[in-house]
Amino acid sequence: MSQFKCANLWQMKRGIQTIIEGFNPALDASVKARLKELGFHQGARVLCTQAPRLGAPKLYKVGNAVYSLEKTIAECVIAHPVTSE
Amino acid sequence: MKQLLLVGSPNSGKSMLFNRLTGMNQRVANFPGITVDTSTGPAVGRSDLLVVDFPGAYSLTPLSGEEQVAVDAFYKLLDVPVGHIEAVVCVVDATRMEKGLVFALQVREACRRAGHPVMIVTNMHDVLERHNQSVDVEGLSQRLDLPVIPISAKSGAGVDQIITRSGHGIEVPKSELKEDLIAFDSSAFRNLAESLANEFGPQGDYLLLVHNRVDQFFLSTLTGGLSFLLIMFLLFQAIFSWAAPLMDGVESLIGLTADSVLPLIPSGMLHDFVKDALFGGLGAFLVFVPQIFILTLIVGFMEDSGYLARAAVICHRPLRAFGLTGKSFVPMLSGVACAIPGIYAARTIESPRRRWLTYFAIPLMPCSARLPVYGLLIVAFIPNESLLGGAVGLQGLAMLAIYLFGIVMALLVVSLISRVKVGKGSDLPFVLEMPPYRLPGAKTLGQLAWSRSGDFVKRAGPVIFWVSVVVWVLGYFPNQGANLGESWLGAIGKFIAPIFEPIGLDWKYGVAIIASFLAREVFVGTLGTLYGIEGAEEEFTSLAQQIQDSGISLASGVALFVFFAIAAQCVSTLATLRRESGSWSLPAGLFVGYGVLAYSLALMAFTLIVGD
Repeated sequence: MSQFKCANLWQMKRGIQTIIEGFNPALDASVKARLKELGFHQGARVLCTQAPRLGAPKLYKVGNAVYSLEKTIAECVIAHPVTSE
Repeated sequence: MKQLLLVGSPNSGKSMLFNRLTGMNQRVANFPGITVDTSTGPAVGRSDLLVVDFPGAYSLTPLSGEEQVAVDAFYKLLDVPVGHIEAVVCVVDATRMEKGLVFALQVREACRRAGHPVMIVTNMHDVLERHNQSVDVEGLSQRLDLPVIPISAKSGAGVDQIITRSGHGIEVPKSELKEDLIAFDSSAFRNLAESLANEFGPQGDYLLLVHNRVDQFFLSTLTGGLSFLLIMFLLFQAIFSWAAPLMDGVESLIGLTADSVLPLIPSGMLHDFVKDALFGGLGAFLVFVPQIFILTLIVGFMEDSGYLARAAVICHRPLRAFGLTGKSFVPMLSGVACAIPGIYAARTIESPRRRWLTYFAIPLMPCSARLPVYGLLIVAFIPNESLLGGAVGLQGLAMLAIYLFGIVMALLVVSLISRVKVGKGSDLPFVLEMPPYRLPGAKTLGQLAWSRSGDFVKRAGPVIFWVSVVVWVLGYFPNQGANLGESWLGAIGKFIAPIFEPIGLDWKYGVAIIASFLAREVFVGTLGTLYGIEGAEEEFTSLAQQIQDSGISLASGVALFVFFAIAAQCVSTLATLRRESGSWSLPAGLFVGYGVLAYSLALMAFTLIVGD
């Protein structure tokens, strides 16, 4: 069991690296499958590269690509922080 | 004819490769019922080989209805007998191999099962070389049991190898990579892609670090917001002002052609038809083509440079409150110049639901064709006085109010529709890949804009032509165009006069409103004809005086403002909506719905003012 307190991707600030623990069951199955294909799978390391203000979607680096996720989606990805840059 | 199918993830450089392979001798074809373009064209030096370029996809497991249709189309082509497909070419961005390989592995598996040869093309090796990076092409090829060809679609390096290798025959991959791939398990593809990218792909995040620094500028609250406003201002200027000389050029060309052709036709019905329906009706539509060209050129630049994705991120939050998406901004902004390029620009919105909602918003934006109408009504009803010691003109303030009214109405209506109506197709969450920043190729952009403009003319032109013919016939008969008021169009105007009587407008306005179906600005010319003023478009003051002298009240004027701001969609807008949505249901519903809404609000405004 992780020693870190679980949170979701939306709560991660810029420069924070996280490891994905799973997904909120409320997330649509097809969206979850697409997120996994993009690299947001359990155990994947995700870095929040940009967190624009005023509620704009945040940018996350996973693998060698960067994606923007809106709040409703990022909130459904459960993760815990591992390090900060 | 054998086929070479091009597939790959979005932003993998597939379209540029297609242009290299075909020399841009392409024709754009739509699969029935969808708006996803699939380009085809014969290969350069191989007239027996047809190159088919599929829309970019992240996966063969579709997420939306549109993706489903695109994937179905791909599988349908794979169903052809073995030997008809020379090769399926999966393009992978070599700078981001992991992402591209997930899709490539799915394509490999689908082709292996269907018995078709497949190859992987790793693109953008020029970028890798600049950073002293490389891909272990041989190692990847051996592991996947298929050819892997390194290329640069931008420079053309290695592109000829694709045709050469496919021409010599490629073996269908025989080996199954992993047992769990048989079930098309997305996690299995992802894991394998990750390990392959780590083993054979370039190492390090050198590109991402550079892009991250640029993102800090373009996505920060201050610099990002300011640069966004500047870029949108330039886009707006380009559509509104820079396109003007080109539009004038097209207009002059049409005028010169008319001057050359019309004297050759004896006076009479045919002469009048060619003059008014062909050169007048269809010509008015062709004048907008330069705007389409400029718009597609600039949007293409924003798209290829990677900025459009960032602009969508900035706009997403505020527009989301109204049920739209960040990508709705550019189409709506373009709609202020003209609804046609705006509707066309909505193609960049992947979510069918958000795209439909954007379609609802665009016709309510105050387009430039409404300007002459607003100008006339302002001169007729708003006194030429100033406020604040001459700093603010009342008429200018009225114009600003009309523009704001249109924009606010668009957002309110869409907000309401998004809550009441589910919309066509499925919704897509805002999960957007941030493409790397690149400098787009001028030739590619120019060719793409030219191709899209030509496609637009070919598809919307015939519809506009036939509607122009119908409106012309109604206005010409039965008195051979001698008197518009006595024509069938005039009769219809008088027939519907009772509809406009409650807001204090007589039959002349009914005729002008019907005629403005051809183009909104025709309202002014028609009203001028009915009041006996030639060249009313330039003689605002005379016509405005006539309107004042006719005894029309301020309440009727405001009601007309409101009606015209919401209703009176022109035929070109409806035809373009028909072409982009794939059916008449949207334009027909929008025409009727906005007509009823416009009339109701106009009546409300009239009643309120008269009541005061």
